[in-house]
Amino acid sequence: MDIDGVVAIGAIFVGLPWVILHYITKWKTAATLTGDDEALLEELYQLARRLDERMDTVERLVAAEHPEFHPGVPLSSFGVPNRETDNLPLREIERLRAQKGVR
Amino acid sequence: MSVHTRFYRDKANGKFMGVCAGIADYTGIDVLWVRVATLILLFCSGGSAWLAYFAIGFLADKKPRELYTDTQEQRFWQGVRQSPSRTAREVRASFRDIDRRLASVEAYYVSSNPRLADEIEKLR
Repeated sequence: MDIDGVVAIGAIFVGLPWVILHYITKWKTAATLTGDDEALLEELYQLARRLDERMDTVERLVAAEHPEFHPGVPLSSFGVPNRETDNLPLREIERLRAQKGVR
Repeated sequence: MSVHTRFYRDKANGKFMGVCAGIADYTGIDVLWVRVATLILLFCSGGSAWLAYFAIGFLADKKPRELYTDTQEQRFWQGVRQSPSRTAREVRASFRDIDRRLASVEAYYVSSNPRLADEIEKLR
């Protein structure tokens, strides 16, 4: 009985605040997105989208001018086409590298 | 305060005060499941969940009309709110993608040089 009371009081007055404060400190030290970061991320995202669209246009123009150029067909060691089947593994690699902490 | 990473209630798509629609918009979870979960919470917990709902409903700002231009942008910002570092890596991946495609066009022009071949053909 006495032991139970001590355990209960200990849990409420020491354990609970401990857990709460532990998570508060974790939350405070977690990497947060500042306003500047957000603006930068937005700019990069919009830039990537614009460049992607321009790249589509360029590929279409080159393909129209030179029928032997197909963005979907590899031409040289560098001429790898833009296919979603290639991009997916690349993103997977990015994700795995991030999990292992490789920059 | 950052515009894209704060919570808004989405009155335009909402049923009552737009709190559920706002949560769905913030997290990217389908609005139906948010509503189901909210209803279960409201009926199971009694008073406190109602209080929380109305507190959010009255305190949260309404979502600005032109916050996102399209659904792709909306999904991007949902990703940012879930994990900024993952989204940053995705942006980097798309830049690498563009780099690779540009390299392929460049390689085509450098290796085969069709314009130079055309010029030579004209001069003959």
